[in-house]
Amino acid sequence: MFRPVIFDEKVCDGCNMCVEVCPLDIFERNPEKGKPPILKYPDECAYDGACWLRCHLRDKGAIKVVPPLPMKVSILRG
Amino acid sequence: MTAKIEVIPIETDVLIIGGGLAGCMAAIKAAEKDVSVTIAEKADTRASGCAGTGVDHIWAYIPPVHEKMGYTIEDIIESHTKGIANGFIDQELLHLIVRESYNRILDLENFGLNFRFEDSKAPGKFRVVTQFHSAPTTLNFDGRDLKVNLTREARKRGVRIINRVNMVELLTSLDGHILGALGVGTRDGKIYHFKTNAVVTSTGRVNRLSRSLTGVWGNTRVPINETGDGRAMAFRAGLPIINMEFLSNAMYSIGNFELNLGSPRNTVQPAAAVVDGKGDILVPRTQFYDWDNPGEKREVSAGHGERPDYFALQDQGKGPFYLDLTGGTEEEIGYIEWSIRNEGKGSYFLDYLKNQEHFDFRTDKLEWLPNSREMAGTASSGLVVDKDLETGIKGLFAAGDEVGGLPWVCAPGAVTTGWHAGEMAAKEAMNRKSFQDIENDKPDALVSLCEGMYHNEDGLHWREVEIAVQNIIDHYAGKVRAEEMLLRAIDRLSDIEKNVTFRAENPHELGRCLEVKSVIENAGMVLRASVERKESRKMPFGFYRADYPESNDKDFFVFLAQTLKEGRVEFNKIGIKKIDENNIGS
Repeated sequence: MFRPVIFDEKVCDGCNMCVEVCPLDIFERNPEKGKPPILKYPDECAYDGACWLRCHLRDKGAIKVVPPLPMKVSILRG
Repeated sequence: MTAKIEVIPIETDVLIIGGGLAGCMAAIKAAEKDVSVTIAEKADTRASGCAGTGVDHIWAYIPPVHEKMGYTIEDIIESHTKGIANGFIDQELLHLIVRESYNRILDLENFGLNFRFEDSKAPGKFRVVTQFHSAPTTLNFDGRDLKVNLTREARKRGVRIINRVNMVELLTSLDGHILGALGVGTRDGKIYHFKTNAVVTSTGRVNRLSRSLTGVWGNTRVPINETGDGRAMAFRAGLPIINMEFLSNAMYSIGNFELNLGSPRNTVQPAAAVVDGKGDILVPRTQFYDWDNPGEKREVSAGHGERPDYFALQDQGKGPFYLDLTGGTEEEIGYIEWSIRNEGKGSYFLDYLKNQEHFDFRTDKLEWLPNSREMAGTASSGLVVDKDLETGIKGLFAAGDEVGGLPWVCAPGAVTTGWHAGEMAAKEAMNRKSFQDIENDKPDALVSLCEGMYHNEDGLHWREVEIAVQNIIDHYAGKVRAEEMLLRAIDRLSDIEKNVTFRAENPHELGRCLEVKSVIENAGMVLRASVERKESRKMPFGFYRADYPESNDKDFFVFLAQTLKEGRVEFNKIGIKKIDENNIGS
């Protein structure tokens, strides 16, 4: 199973904005208030980054979206 | 789930199906009138559709820029018709887009989006680039938050937004009026029964007909949840659907992460080149953004340049290929990064590129790899509408990518057709006094269908059905098609349609099952239209028939329309009005 989204639970305040905006609806609210959402359908991630873009704590590292290996760009380093 | 599924009746004067860029614009405009307006959206309007996480460009006839340069609206229409659409376009609708796009840009500006830049010397302080047309018609703008702003503006005007509902069925009267629509809530599992007097359908493109090239399900350029729902609903309601045969073959772009960063010469890469491993140039870098000096008027029929056939080059042993921005100045790199940040998945992509890959535009090159196949914008598929965007069903309008016959109208197409369809839908709703009760079995049938999926021990998971359908499309309707192969594909698809039942554990999975049903409907349209187009049409259409290798303008310079009539599919040809008989389609 892919692991497209990683939350830092020390930073995430469980506001659930990512749950609301995700176009593919891959998250579920954590039953424990204030905790990061649960990644219920990780292999339905579209890597559009809506969750990351709308996270008000993204600059503090609350959420990280990681493309799976086949999606990583191929780089010719200069 | 054992309890009977609850059906929620909702009365709304105007229903918008699909709250992307076109749908939100339609809702905002419709709400100016004294009518109730509801958007039914399968995701969340703040992040849904092709503009979901941003758009950095929109083209228009821009009077302050183009009048000064000597271009007319007709020049831009001609440029788009010849250089982009190769004649395959509905010019009456194109006229609406070219004429109105700038007005909609001013509306977007009022909705809080920034189009003007202190460092621009162009009239209006716009950032104007040459991209689609012979004239510099593309405006770059801070469009990352477009959908957030439009959602706010819609709500401000009293629009009701119902997110997480997949629309699956149109309800019509015997005399051909729209009466409502049915959808399924993918969180609450309820069935939404809308009763309405006017509908705008704007569900976008059809994706998932072909396998994602990287093998990662969500990795497609167009949003993966756009499953041609509007086309499927309209087809079942007896409306003609055009241009479904133009499922294009893969092109090269930034691999492996598929996003809309396009080729060099695109807005996000004005200073990029494509090179091979030895550093030999395949696509030279073009001029950097030219908004400081839009230059002289050019020949309007000038296209935007040929792109190399990378597959052919690879067959000759060439490659690998790279996107090369290393020649860019600091200013150019700054501009490109800004542009990527505002376009599509670009905001996240740029963050990933810089912070996870530590990519440096000054020294590193990105490998240029094939993208997945998609429903081409080249000869756009969709519904047939009149000049006011009304379909053959009275009160049913289409907008954005739902409209057939408008290739590469993208964001300007969405904002202009959305706005106009919203206005017309509101007018239609005001003319009709009350909601009609619908005497038909469709709501009950949908309840049965959904309940059947929940309790279906022998049903299949949506993903295995989707893969099977994609296998059929990719094997039988690939780069080169032929009648026998296509007919076999139709038989195999028909087997799936007749014999496969789905299994859903919850409303979320049920939504996916309904999407796959829509994909199956669209796949059938692709295959049937491919049989019917008995000719080949080279790039940019990329439609090749082994049994009809020649192009045949006499019989096939037309939109092929397919219509469901009493259980059978009929085809007819819709002539394309040409502006210049001598120069188009030759």
